[in-house]
Amino acid sequence: MTYLVRRLLEALLVFFGISLVIYAMTYVLPGDPVAALAGDRPLAPSVVRALREQHHLDDPLFVQYGHYLAGLFQGDLGTDFSGRPVADQMADRWPVTIKLALTAWVIEAVVGIGLGVLAALRRGTWTDRTVLAFTIGATSVPVFVLAYTAQMVLGVKFGLFPVAGTTEGWPAGYVLPALCVAAFGLASVSRLVRAEVIDNLRADYVRTAVAKGLTRRRVVGVHVLRNSLIPAVTFLAVDLGYLLGGTVIIEGVFNLPGIGQLLFQAVRGHAGPTVVGVSTALILIFLAASVLVDLLNSLLDPRIRHD
Amino acid sequence: MLTVTASLSLPLVLVLAGCSGGSGSTDGGAAAGGFSVAVGEPDHLTPGRTTVGYDQVRVLFAPLVKVDNKGRTSYVQAESVTSSDARHWTIKLRSGWTFHNGEPVTARSYADAWNATAYGPNGWAGNGQLAGIEGYEALNPAEGKPKTKTLSGVEVVDATTLKVTLSGPDSQFPLRLTPSQTGFYPLPKAAFEDPEGYDKAPVGNGPFKMDAAWKEDEGATVTAYDAYRGTRPEAPAITFKSYADLNTAYTDALAGNTDVIGVPVSKYGQAKADFGDRLHTYEAPSLEFMTLPLKDERYDDVRLRKALSMSIDRDAVNKAIYGGLYTPATSLTPPSEVGAETGLCDACAFDPAAARKLLAEAGGWSGQLTITYPGGLGLDELYKAIANQIRQNLGIDEVRAEPTADWAEFSEKVLGKKITGLSHAHWGALYPSMQNTLQGVFTESGGCMCSNYGDKAVDDLLRQADAATEPTAAQRLYNDAQKEILKDFPVVPLFFGSYVYAATERVSGVTVGPADVELARISVTG
Repeated sequence: MTYLVRRLLEALLVFFGISLVIYAMTYVLPGDPVAALAGDRPLAPSVVRALREQHHLDDPLFVQYGHYLAGLFQGDLGTDFSGRPVADQMADRWPVTIKLALTAWVIEAVVGIGLGVLAALRRGTWTDRTVLAFTIGATSVPVFVLAYTAQMVLGVKFGLFPVAGTTEGWPAGYVLPALCVAAFGLASVSRLVRAEVIDNLRADYVRTAVAKGLTRRRVVGVHVLRNSLIPAVTFLAVDLGYLLGGTVIIEGVFNLPGIGQLLFQAVRGHAGPTVVGVSTALILIFLAASVLVDLLNSLLDPRIRHD
Repeated sequence: MLTVTASLSLPLVLVLAGCSGGSGSTDGGAAAGGFSVAVGEPDHLTPGRTTVGYDQVRVLFAPLVKVDNKGRTSYVQAESVTSSDARHWTIKLRSGWTFHNGEPVTARSYADAWNATAYGPNGWAGNGQLAGIEGYEALNPAEGKPKTKTLSGVEVVDATTLKVTLSGPDSQFPLRLTPSQTGFYPLPKAAFEDPEGYDKAPVGNGPFKMDAAWKEDEGATVTAYDAYRGTRPEAPAITFKSYADLNTAYTDALAGNTDVIGVPVSKYGQAKADFGDRLHTYEAPSLEFMTLPLKDERYDDVRLRKALSMSIDRDAVNKAIYGGLYTPATSLTPPSEVGAETGLCDACAFDPAAARKLLAEAGGWSGQLTITYPGGLGLDELYKAIANQIRQNLGIDEVRAEPTADWAEFSEKVLGKKITGLSHAHWGALYPSMQNTLQGVFTESGGCMCSNYGDKAVDDLLRQADAATEPTAAQRLYNDAQKEILKDFPVVPLFFGSYVYAATERVSGVTVGPADVELARISVTG
C-alpha cells in the first residue's frame, strides 16, 4: 500500500516537471504558430495580432505557462488555435485510441501467448518453424507497409474490411488496424513465451510435477505457463502504455482520429496546451502501466516484493 | 492589397486537421440519394473565418458572382454589380432569396458579415480579403483597438442595394465576389447571436443546408434547400466525410467508400491509372515557382536567373512526379485567370545549351547553390529533381535541396529574409484574376512576401489596369505588366497548379472550374 502511495506522489511531481518541460519545448519550436496555422495564406497583420493576443503568444514562457496552470487549476485545459477546447478534443479522441489499443492488446496477448506455447510444445516441428517465420516477418515488416498492404488487399481488393472510418464503429472499423498494430508486439510476445516455456519445461519442478503423475495439461497450463509469463506480462503491460499513446501511422492510414494523431497535429501546429495536455495524460498512463507491471509480477511470482 | 492563397496549404491542412470517416459501404457512406465527399477537418465553418472548410462553405452559401470554366462571369445572388469609375460600386441583390432559416438575404446581411470579417480584433482569417474597401484601415489600425466597428465604404441603401466604396479603383472587384473569396458571403442574424454554435452549423443562402451540426472528426450531411432560388443542385444530399489524411480518402475512394475526393499531390503519379476517365482536372489559378534572393549580388545578373530557369526540364519533372497533371508554366499568370496570356516566358523553355551559354556570359557560378523548401509536405522529390537538373545541365557541382523542419520554420525564414539561395514558393489566387497573382507576388505591398520584387513601372501598369473601366483594357494592361516583370525575371516559374478530383462510378457530372469543384452539379447515377 505504501508502495502505491509513494508511486502516486512521484507521479504528481513528474506531472509538474514534465508539463513545464513540454510547454517549454513547444515554446522553443522553430517557427511561428500563427504562421503554421495560416499555411501559406498570409493573414492580415491585424488578424495575426488579434490571434497572438488571444493565445498570449507574445508573453514570455513563464507567463504563458502561468496562464496555462491558472486555467488548469480551474479545470480548463486550454484551447487550440481554432478555439477548440483541449478537454473536448481529448474526450473525442480517447475512446478511439482506447478501443484500438485494447483490441490490439487482446490480440497480442491471446494470439501471442497461444503461438508461443504452441511453438514451444511442438519444438523443432513444422509448426514451430512456421510460427518462427511468421514472427520474423511480423517484426521485420515496417508497420506502415503492413498497414497499406492490408488496406489495399483486404480493404480495397476484396472489400472484406472497411478502409477507414470511426463511424464504422467497433469492431468492423477496428479489426484490421488493430491487427496491424498488434503484429509487432504479437511476434515479440510469442518469442518471449516460447523461450520461457522451453526453459521451464526442462526445469526441475516440472520434472517433479510430471513424476508426481500430474496431467500434461495441468503441468503446462498451470506450472509452466505461470512461470513463463513474467517477461511476457512485463512486455504486455508496457506495450499497453505504448498502445494507449496512440499510433500516429495506423490512426492516419485508417482514419481513426485518436490521441496519436491529435498529438502529432498539435506538435505540427505548435498548439502548446494540446501538446501538454495530451503528453501529460500519456505520461500518467505510462506511470500507471509501470505500476501495473510491478503489481502483476509480484502476483505471478510472490518472491518479487516491493516493500 | 492583401490577398490570400489557396493550395499548398492543402497538405499542411490535412495534417493539421482532425480525422475520421463515414459509414463506408457500397453507397459511398452517403445519405439517401446523395453522395459523399472527402474533406479535411475544418477549423471553422463561418465563411469569413475558415481556412479549411471551403468545400462546405461553397455549397452552404451562394456567391454574388461566379466564373465558369470558360472564364465567363455571371451573377448568382447579385442581380448586378456595376460601377462607372471602378471605385464606387453598386451591388443590386436578387430579391426573394432567403437563408436556410427563412430570414431574407438583404444588403444588411452583407454589410453585417463584411463588417465582422473586416473587424481586426475578431481575428477572422478572411479579414484580408476586404482590405480594398474604404474604412478597412480604421478597423485594422497598426496599434490599439479600432474606434469603429463598421466599414465606412459599405453603405446599405435599401434591402437589395449595397453601395461599396473602395479605397482606390479596382476593375477586378466583381471577380473578388466569386465563391472562394469567403469573406464576401452574407451572414444571417443568427451568426451574431450565437457565433460558436453558428460556426458548427452555419445557416447560409446556398443550395444546401445543414441538418445537424458538424461532428468533429466525422463530418456532416447537408441536404438540398427547397427554397433555394438559384440553379437547383443535382443531388438531394451531400455527406462530407472528415479525413486526417487525404491519402486515406484516396484509398477509400478506390474501395468505393467515398464518392468524390480531391486527389492529394502525392497520388498524382498513379491517379490516372487508378481512376481513368473518372479523374477530373482543371487548371487552378495557382503558380508554383522558386524565389530568388534578388538583393544578393550573386543573383544580380538576369542572365544567371534565366540560365537557372532554362536548365529545368519542367515537362520531364511534371511527368515523373505529378503524372503530367500539372502544367509547365509559360507565363506568370495561370490560364484560368480571366484574360491571362500564356507563352510569354521564353526562359521557361528547357534549353540546356542556351542555359550554359547564358551562365557563361553571366560569369559562371562558384560555390554552393541551395534550394530551401518546407519539409514534411511531400516536396522532397520535386526539389531533389530540380537540384539534379540544375547540377547536370549547368555543370554546377554543389546544388543542394534543403528542407526545413516544417512549414512554420520555413515561413519564419522567408518572412525574416533569412534565405540565401533559391526557395520554394506558391501562390494560389482565391479569385481568378491576373491582378491577384501579379499584385500578390510581384509588388512590395503584395502580402505573399515571396518574390523580393518591386518595380515602379510594373506598379504603374498594375495601377492603370486596376483603374481601367473596360474589362478587356484591364486584361491587356495586366498582361503588359507581366511582360514587364518577365524582362527582369525575378522568379523561376515552374508550374501552373491543378485541381484534381477523382470520383466513383456512382456519380456523374463532376465539374471542376476556376473556383474548384462544383459539388452542386454532381448527380448520383448508381
